[in-house]
Amino acid sequence: MDPLKEPVPVMPTAHYAMGGIPTTLWGQVIKDEKNTVVPGLYAAGEAACVSLHGANRLGTNSLGDLVVFGRRAGIHAARFARDADYHELTEEHLGESRERIERIKNSTGKEKVAALRAELQQSMMDNASVFRTGELLQKQVEILKELMDRYKRISIDDKGDAYNTELVEALELGYLLEVSEALVHSALNRTESRGAHAREDYPERDDENWLKHTLAYKVEDGKVAFRYKPVVLGRFEPKARTY
Amino acid sequence: MQVTLKILRFDPAKDKKPRWETYQVEAEPTDRVLDLLHKVKWYQDGSLAFRRSCGHGICGSDAMLINGKNRLACKTLVKDLGSVITVEPIRGLPVEKDLIVDMEPFFAAYRAVKPYLINDEPPPQRERLQSPEERARFDQGTKCILCASCTTSCPVFWVNGTYIGPAAIVQAHRFIFDSRDRGKRERFKALGSGSGVWRCRTAYNCTEACPREIPVTQLIEEVKRAILFDSF
Amino acid sequence: MAIKSKRYQEARLEASTNLELYWWVFMRVSGVVLVFLLIGHMWMNAVLVDLNSIDYDYVAKRLSQTTWKVYDWLILALALLHGGNGLRYVLDDWVRDPAKRFWTKVVIYSLLAFLFFLGSLSLFNYDYGVN
Ligand SMILES: Cc1cc2nc3c(=O)[nH]c(=O)nc-3n(C[C@H](O)[C@H](O)[C@H](O)COP(=O)(O)OP(=O)(O)OC[C@H]3O[C@@H](n4cnc5c(N)ncnc54)[C@H](O)[C@@H]3O)c2cc1C
Ligand code: HEM
Ligand code: SF4
Ligand code: FES
Repeated sequence: MDPLKEPVPVMPTAHYAMGGIPTTLWGQVIKDEKNTVVPGLYAAGEAACVSLHGANRLGTNSLGDLVVFGRRAGIHAARFARDADYHELTEEHLGESRERIERIKNSTGKEKVAALRAELQQSMMDNASVFRTGELLQKQVEILKELMDRYKRISIDDKGDAYNTELVEALELGYLLEVSEALVHSALNRTESRGAHAREDYPERDDENWLKHTLAYKVEDGKVAFRYKPVVLGRFEPKARTY
Repeated sequence: MQVTLKILRFDPAKDKKPRWETYQVEAEPTDRVLDLLHKVKWYQDGSLAFRRSCGHGICGSDAMLINGKNRLACKTLVKDLGSVITVEPIRGLPVEKDLIVDMEPFFAAYRAVKPYLINDEPPPQRERLQSPEERARFDQGTKCILCASCTTSCPVFWVNGTYIGPAAIVQAHRFIFDSRDRGKRERFKALGSGSGVWRCRTAYNCTEACPREIPVTQLIEEVKRAILFDSF
Repeated sequence: MAIKSKRYQEARLEASTNLELYWWVFMRVSGVVLVFLLIGHMWMNAVLVDLNSIDYDYVAKRLSQTTWKVYDWLILALALLHGGNGLRYVLDDWVRDPAKRFWTKVVIYSLLAFLFFLGSLSLFNYDYGVN
């Protein structure tokens, strides 16, 4: 295209997701505010949250996090695997995953994965992206409820087992919906602005009420419960970013 | 504009041989081939399988044979191809499904050249310093995204898959010419063997195919020369 | 040789000799040497004398000298080795089926050996009736 004659199409994309699966300094997943470890489950990288970055990750720090805590998680996981006993993998454990897949493969619903995903992306962009308000977030809560309901009626063309990328996309859409739900409910709940979370109706940082981590728990579709964990402040005080 | 998209498809569960499938897609001239594949997969036929990840030419997962040339679907615009577009899997690797090939032979060759820094000398107090000139010596190879466009466009690779392939040589070049590296002899063992650099007949297909504009053939010749001067 | 190795150790075992390097060098050196040998050859047979006047006697006289015997034998040996190895490259690059490739090579190599034998025989075993 010729930028002298036509406008250049520009669109923001997500660069990083703050927060994630909470872990210890050794990458062990923890499940509550008392730092209870889930034995044998590890997370590292962007998916994990060692609580390194606070409310706004600075440039370059993701790869530093990856290298340091990926290594630590690996070392600890290897140590764990050496001493741990294997569990019997029974139908009871596999059942849920298998059922998820079979449900999608056998569904004859009319909803299309790509269309739902496009709606999810657009509405999240409109209502829960850089600048947020309670009103928009509340609207998105309702939209997510509706999308989750429609997600139950998706169907796919490819019923095969080899490289079924359509099935993978369908499964991923389910996870996207769940992550969106955690994000939107937490953002609505946090009535302040901090780091990358900018609420136009609450533009100030509120250390008195909100100097704490949010742990989000799914109760059912459309219902999220919260618990909180204190922030471990080291050498550095939380400060406004003024540059 | 209306584009006729012909895709060479193969479903291991149903087909004995690959078959052509034709789709009509509405497209903008500035759409990429990847957009067309998505339009087919998302709104016409969900069973179409292909790899892609980043969508902007950096992960190297969507190399395909597009109108007879190896290219990245995410970097190839419709307006540069016209209204009839053919897409096939890259050649010389076993097809798993539709446009997805088994990359294992490609990565086996990659691993064989030890694509990592080898230096057993005791590490210095601080970094292993390097001058800008020393860094520039191997700069071209660092741009490789391991998309396999070069290796799968090489006629020598197509024949019986016994050639280590241009991509592995580019990767070896990146370390052989790194002033901090001490592992070139180990790499020469794989590169100098019957399946190594001497199979190259300088057909230049690799250089033409590389989406990162790496002068692949030149780097191969530099590795040949390095082995030659190391041996005599 | 095929790339089978999935690990570095296997790759190390697979990579063994410098043979292909030597052939690569040989192709270049023999190619250059052949240029001069063939220029000399054509100079003898087409420039110094009229091509049409070459007869048995002319050739016989030349080949009665050991220097020319060695000269022509060099052309014979280098051209056969160079051409033969070049053909091996071509076969390796273009004949896919391993069995077919093997048998094509057997036939070609036999033919080359036969030509070499015949050529050497005619160069060194006769005195061409000239003393
Ligand atoms: C454009 C851009 C520029 C950036 N620049 C910088 C920078 O300059 N500096 C910096 O520090 N950070 C940067 N970041 C952030 C940083 O690159 C990422 O945070 C980091 O790469 C994440 O690494 P990861 O290994 O945790 O996750 P990823 O690299 O996302 O890897 C996740 C892997 O999991 C695989 N996967 C997903 N689902 C499944 C499944 N179901 N089964 C099996 N595998 C699965 C995926 O295929 C993928 O390989 C940038 C990010 C972007 C988008
Ligand atoms: C004039 C002198 C010659 C020169 C300079 C020369 C040079 C070369 C070189 C450098 C190669 C290697 C190419 C490569 O590695 O990719 C080669 C290949 C080859 N040569 Fe020659 N050569 C000469 C004469 C001959 C003759 C007289 C014959 C036939 C008897 C011959 C037959 C071949 C063949 C068949 C190949 C393989 C072609 C290929 O790899 O595709 N050459 N030559
Ligand atoms: S050298 Fe170029 S074509 Fe070959 S793998 Fe690397 S980026 Fe792809
Ligand atoms: S999708 Fe990553 S290079 Fe094309």
